[in-house]
Amino acid sequence: MIPKAQDARAIPAAIGIGMRTLHFDEIIATRPAIGWLEVHAENYLGGGPAPLRLDTIRQEYPLSLHGVGLSLGSAEGLADDHLRRLRTLIARTEPFLVSEHLSWSITGDAYLNDLLPLPYTEESLDIVVANVAKAQAALGRRLLVENPASYLRYRHSTIPEPDFLGELVRRSGCGLLCDVNNIFVTCGNLDLNAEAYLEALPAAAVGEIHIAGHSRVMRGSQSLVIDDHGSPVAPPVWDLYCRALKRFGLVPSLVEWDNNLPPLTQLLDEAWKAERAAPATVDCDACAA
Amino acid sequence: MLALHEVQTEFRRAILTVDTDTFCALIAADGLAPEERLGVYRNNIVASLTAVLRETFPAVCRLVEEQFFAYAAHEFICRHPPECAVLAEYGGRFPDFLAASAPCRELVYLADVARLEGLMKVAANAAHADPIAAMTLGDVAAEDAQRLTLQLHPSFGFVASRWPIDRIWRANRPEAAAEATIDLAAGGVWLEVSRADANIVMRSLDCTTFAFRSAVQRGETLERATEAALVTDPAFDLCRALPALFLDGAVIAVNSAQPHAGREPRQ
Repeated sequence: MIPKAQDARAIPAAIGIGMRTLHFDEIIATRPAIGWLEVHAENYLGGGPAPLRLDTIRQEYPLSLHGVGLSLGSAEGLADDHLRRLRTLIARTEPFLVSEHLSWSITGDAYLNDLLPLPYTEESLDIVVANVAKAQAALGRRLLVENPASYLRYRHSTIPEPDFLGELVRRSGCGLLCDVNNIFVTCGNLDLNAEAYLEALPAAAVGEIHIAGHSRVMRGSQSLVIDDHGSPVAPPVWDLYCRALKRFGLVPSLVEWDNNLPPLTQLLDEAWKAERAAPATVDCDACAA
Repeated sequence: MLALHEVQTEFRRAILTVDTDTFCALIAADGLAPEERLGVYRNNIVASLTAVLRETFPAVCRLVEEQFFAYAAHEFICRHPPECAVLAEYGGRFPDFLAASAPCRELVYLADVARLEGLMKVAANAAHADPIAAMTLGDVAAEDAQRLTLQLHPSFGFVASRWPIDRIWRANRPEAAAEATIDLAAGGVWLEVSRADANIVMRSLDCTTFAFRSAVQRGETLERATEAALVTDPAFDLCRALPALFLDGAVIAVNSAQPHAGREPRQ
């Protein structure tokens, strides 16, 4: 049973959904019984009516800010103006979670609008640790850092991605956002074992889980798995989600759906499916924890 | 082994130009051509930024062929990628880019329509600010008033065109009647764009009011803005134009200019 919206604050481990602008009016009008909402921070860093929507929504639901543009992996460091705007938004909306990605998107004053992959080397680790530490100090918050969906691997990478995340946690004090769909996508594209990846993550650091849909495209005789957030969660990702719950316990989980946006009811159905998966896969001790 | 900064520089080069060799040499093939793997990122970046431009310039989209817009957007993205992650602020240079592109010289009004849509985007995303009342000027002596500058609400923007771009824009709204025809010889327009609550407001001004208001917005002193208005209307009266500006909710601050600063061009 999903808690009513008013009760949700007391149950932060409940299931949330990504809130997109097209669903805003319906969410406010119908107050669906969903645990919490997550928005992309960069959509609310400008002016106009967008930040006012967050003022409204956070009166009804716990809110999570999910960044896509801080570029924690930039060799040239973080953009001070972006940090300043993010800090202002955090002060305004008081989110219960703030998250970002293990990726980069800014170099030489160009923002490349995607979550681009890092070579996993000692040099990269030093840079990401420094950037995460700077961000956490500037924002006054512990960040959750999300594992990316990857389509390529650098020849000179020397550290497996889950080990890189583990070291990042140990050295920066950040937490992890475990995106099980991203694990599926990365492992499918780079011929890695998804279950072994999940097992290698530092369980105590995981503070949020993402689940989402993906698609496949053919390139010659090879297929690539694309993290497009444009369809229902696929069965093998549900399986990974259940494994993640067993390993990490009941942490806040989010259904992301960004493209081919369905009616709100269909998105809520996915969330309720996740809600039903939780008690079946997590023992009572883990629930209590 | 390249340092991370060099890897990122090469990644950028591989996304925005056709020079992919150095970056692709860094990628493990793992059964698929590195170019194919890189292509996923290139497609994500170009497709998402093209979508931002389509959303910002819907009338421009309707005025040109689909294929041309996609081509122009791709060229623009490669030459002028976003400078920050707030994509609501992307595309400000697109009108000038269109103006300089050869195919657009046949659609002589296209760049001006883009400028109008660019101002609408700026107005939609402008920060909230409370207008002030004209009585703020009550204590200012007349001779000092000449040296004042006014800060307009950040949603205010101005565009002049030799073409009836307001009618062209309206005719290319999704709900516009298909048979609408516009006489390009109808003459030019002087337009003001702003935001009232959440609504974008486009007003057609006379050329004198336009000259005055756009000079004020550029940070000119009231004296200089008045001089700009007097060029087209020797009977221009600051005592009437100024209260109207306040009544429109356009003014959010009054500043004293430095002596003689109004004689220099302001950035």
